[in-house]
Amino acid sequence: MGLWERLQRVDRRVLYTLIFLSVIIPVLFPLSLPTPVTPETESFYAAIEAIPDGSRILFPFDCWPSTLAETEPMAVAALRHCFRKNLRVVALSNVGMGGPSVIERVLGQVAGEFGKQYGTDYVNLGYKANYQAVLLGMGSKIEDIYPTDYRGTRLSEIPLMREVPNYDSLKLTVIISDNAMVDYWVSLVNARFGMPMVAAVTAVMAPKQLSYVQAHQLQGLLGGMKGAAEYERLLDARDRATRGMDSQSLIHLLIIGFIVIGNIGHFAARRARAAGRAGVAA
Amino acid sequence: MSEFFSSPFVALFPTAFFTLALYSFLYRDNPLFKLAEHVFAGLSAGYYFGLIFHSVIVQQLWLPLTQDGEWILAASGALGLLLFARFIPKVAWMSRLSLAFVIGSTAGITFIQQLHGLILPQVSRTLLPLDSVNNVLIVVGVLATLIYFYFSKPHTGPLGWVASGGVGFIMVAFGAHFGYTVMARVSLLIGRIQFLLIDWLRIGS
Repeated sequence: MGLWERLQRVDRRVLYTLIFLSVIIPVLFPLSLPTPVTPETESFYAAIEAIPDGSRILFPFDCWPSTLAETEPMAVAALRHCFRKNLRVVALSNVGMGGPSVIERVLGQVAGEFGKQYGTDYVNLGYKANYQAVLLGMGSKIEDIYPTDYRGTRLSEIPLMREVPNYDSLKLTVIISDNAMVDYWVSLVNARFGMPMVAAVTAVMAPKQLSYVQAHQLQGLLGGMKGAAEYERLLDARDRATRGMDSQSLIHLLIIGFIVIGNIGHFAARRARAAGRAGVAA
Repeated sequence: MSEFFSSPFVALFPTAFFTLALYSFLYRDNPLFKLAEHVFAGLSAGYYFGLIFHSVIVQQLWLPLTQDGEWILAASGALGLLLFARFIPKVAWMSRLSLAFVIGSTAGITFIQQLHGLILPQVSRTLLPLDSVNNVLIVVGVLATLIYFYFSKPHTGPLGWVASGGVGFIMVAFGAHFGYTVMARVSLLIGRIQFLLIDWLRIGS
């Protein structure tokens, strides 16, 4: 097998090892590579910044624990921005499997950083089945959908929830999502109740959600770990996403390099074969 | 002893163990991977059953019925029970009453959601003035892509050229999706490695 064929048939274990090293090295020795901020992230930041301090916002955490590597840094960055402005957060989840307990951990951790109190500054409503009915029902009366919060306290006994009967008393929805729930928030709640929204979604979803930003159905968008890193930069609070982007950039360079090498190998081998056939014919 | 079990290394050990067990599939299928897979499936099923039972049956049916006297909910409960009629062949037809209700309400909501919430806003925001490169790209891209999916006339001549342009736009969209997908998968790997190194082993920054 010639050099060009070998370049097209690199053992996948070699690739795994190189990718593994590309992740580990920046974690151990940060490179601090630049991460420019995109207009969508700036719009997300501006939407939260534009709300009067102390306002109430809705914070749906519609994601599975399996995508926390992307969604948690975005949620943490957005919550830090919200609590920095003393916004009061009503969190809920339309993903039953782990959603509410992740809210409890992430929201509790960031609220703790800012000395916020459960019940007055933030609430975790938990999960209810049938997202379409939940989203539409909360437009009339949240208490009908969520008689109690995640901890089992009646909503009428929670000071923050006494001020929030339905969507009318909320200024913004900050959606954290790794699935089609963004479509439902946009098409049911934004379209019907006129609730302003921003979304932080996994990178896989970002290209599709950009059409909502283009159509002004979403006011801003964070896309995956890169979106989280950009937001950390805007907040001047560098954290895990910023560090993760070093590994991300190295791996992308590696993948680009292998795609280029593979293509060079492919075309060179084809030329060599064509030259060989011409030689035989002569 | 309790300090030992609450130390980060031991407390996070099950998560680290199952992470490594799942990644062991990179070498090949093996008993460790199978164990992790089965534990995940079993835990998920049990957790989901408890969650739905508590949040739907208890919180939204049983308690409002028995404590708040909301008897109208008995009708919803009865419709839910009728779904189980499928297991008894003689009365299986009765489950269709519940299914009709579910399908009817879902179709109604989805119709309004798709038309009012997605199609009309997206179409109206595509009717843009051709006064910037961005707007021209959006309008031309949408039209060319739609023409590619127009099958009532052969794609020859000018129609064929525009359809080929549409393929170009579709390819660019696929490329963007693929790039973002690579980023998403790599992010998940980075997240796991950060967990193993920083949270579990306490090394790295």
